[in-house]
Amino acid sequence: MTFDAIGIASTGLTLHRKWLDAISDNLANINTVKPTSGPAFQARYVVAQEGAGNSGAYVQGAAYGNAEGRLVYEPANPLADKDGYVKYPDIDLASQMGQLIMAQRGYQANAAVVDRAKETYQAALQIGRA
Amino acid sequence: MDVSSIGAVSGVSGVSSTGTVSATGTSGTGATGFANALGGAVDNLQQLQSTSNTLAIQAVTGSLSDIHNATIASTRAQVTLELVAAVRNKGVDAFTEIMRMQA
Repeated sequence: MTFDAIGIASTGLTLHRKWLDAISDNLANINTVKPTSGPAFQARYVVAQEGAGNSGAYVQGAAYGNAEGRLVYEPANPLADKDGYVKYPDIDLASQMGQLIMAQRGYQANAAVVDRAKETYQAALQIGRA
Repeated sequence: MDVSSIGAVSGVSGVSSTGTVSATGTSGTGATGFANALGGAVDNLQQLQSTSNTLAIQAVTGSLSDIHNATIASTRAQVTLELVAAVRNKGVDAFTEIMRMQA
């Protein structure tokens, strides 16, 4: 890469964007009810990995949360089993909101790196121009 | 995306320092070296700009997965254009300076 700081920051941007996607999926499914016969919705977690040398950060893969879920007594729910229980996903809303802030701030930090690197390179191009 | 084209420019400055030894020999190699370096830089710039254009079209048509890919490609093409223009201006300045020389 010719402008390495910009390229490295773009890998960080992609990583945080995918983290944001995972959080968005978890929050969207936080009230997804499943019958007790099957698994509950499993939270998605992005596994980050550093690149070789100093080439940025990449997504290694996804990790999945607890499939057991939370058993909730809702006998009126059409999905309820004979004892009146349904499965809610085992997702902590407060933890997801905290991760949301971290993903957003991380994305913004990487975007700031891109801007600052661009300004730095433009300053280098101004050398000797006066 | 290759640094080698930029490295070739520094080689030209090395040639100009030895240009005092023999004017005829270095002027030939120096000219082709600089032309090659500048041509490679322009080719590289065109590639970056076409990438930026493709991503911009994707952004407008809604088939873009990452917004930052489009803006970063645009930034990279812009900075590279400024770099190539700076190198070209320096080359033209040097040429006009030489043409202005008189005995």
